[in-house]
Amino acid sequence: MGKKVCWGVIIFTIAINVVMLQWTIEAYLGREYEQTLLYSGVGIVMAFVAFLAYGHLRKIEYSSEKKS
Amino acid sequence: MSKECPKGRHGKKSNHDMINLMDNVDQNDDLRYNRRAFIKSAVGASMALGLSTVPFSVRAMIGIAEPDHDRVEIIDLARLPEGEAFTFNYPTENDPALLVHTVKGELVAYNSACTHLMCPVFYQKEKDILLCPCHKGYFDVSNGQPVAGPPQRELPLIEIEVENGKVYAVGRQYRHG
Repeated sequence: MGKKVCWGVIIFTIAINVVMLQWTIEAYLGREYEQTLLYSGVGIVMAFVAFLAYGHLRKIEYSSEKKS
Repeated sequence: MSKECPKGRHGKKSNHDMINLMDNVDQNDDLRYNRRAFIKSAVGASMALGLSTVPFSVRAMIGIAEPDHDRVEIIDLARLPEGEAFTFNYPTENDPALLVHTVKGELVAYNSACTHLMCPVFYQKEKDILLCPCHKGYFDVSNGQPVAGPPQRELPLIEIEVENGKVYAVGRQYRHG
């Protein structure tokens, strides 16, 4: 996975998490608790994915700096 | 020894043209606002957005564990002729509700707090519609859906049963229709 893919993944997770937060609140206010848990779960997974992508990006950048 | 240039050519206050060209370059800003700082902020934002859903899921789990609504007697059907409405509270004393015997003979019940700004909703039998007088919000009496005005969401539906001439509230649905 290259740098650009990592950037793309991070931007993608932001977009998804904005939508998930809105859907979670809407489902919670509508007392649809199963859906609240589903959207919240997706949001947490996406946050984890963003963190992993960031870690991978750092790894690529610092290893390429050492080579140069 | 002072770091200031004796001729003042390297200082920010210098009037020298070639030095003033560099005014927009600040090493501190370069270190603070760069590509890596941006990606750190982006990841932080993504994680903050994702994790901010956690309190809602915790509350949702508590909500799932709560017991179902009780069966509560509302009124004798004989005391509620067609075209009339009766106010009661369900499921708690803090949830005002409206039982409507419509002019068409249907029995429907909704929580009467308007989904716009929580003003009480009334039944208008002339138009056979539910009206929130605060901001002229109208709800369809047959399904509780908003039909005009600022409300965007339906009124919570209270499930009712008629048994031995008495009307009972047995449950509540937030999303319906």
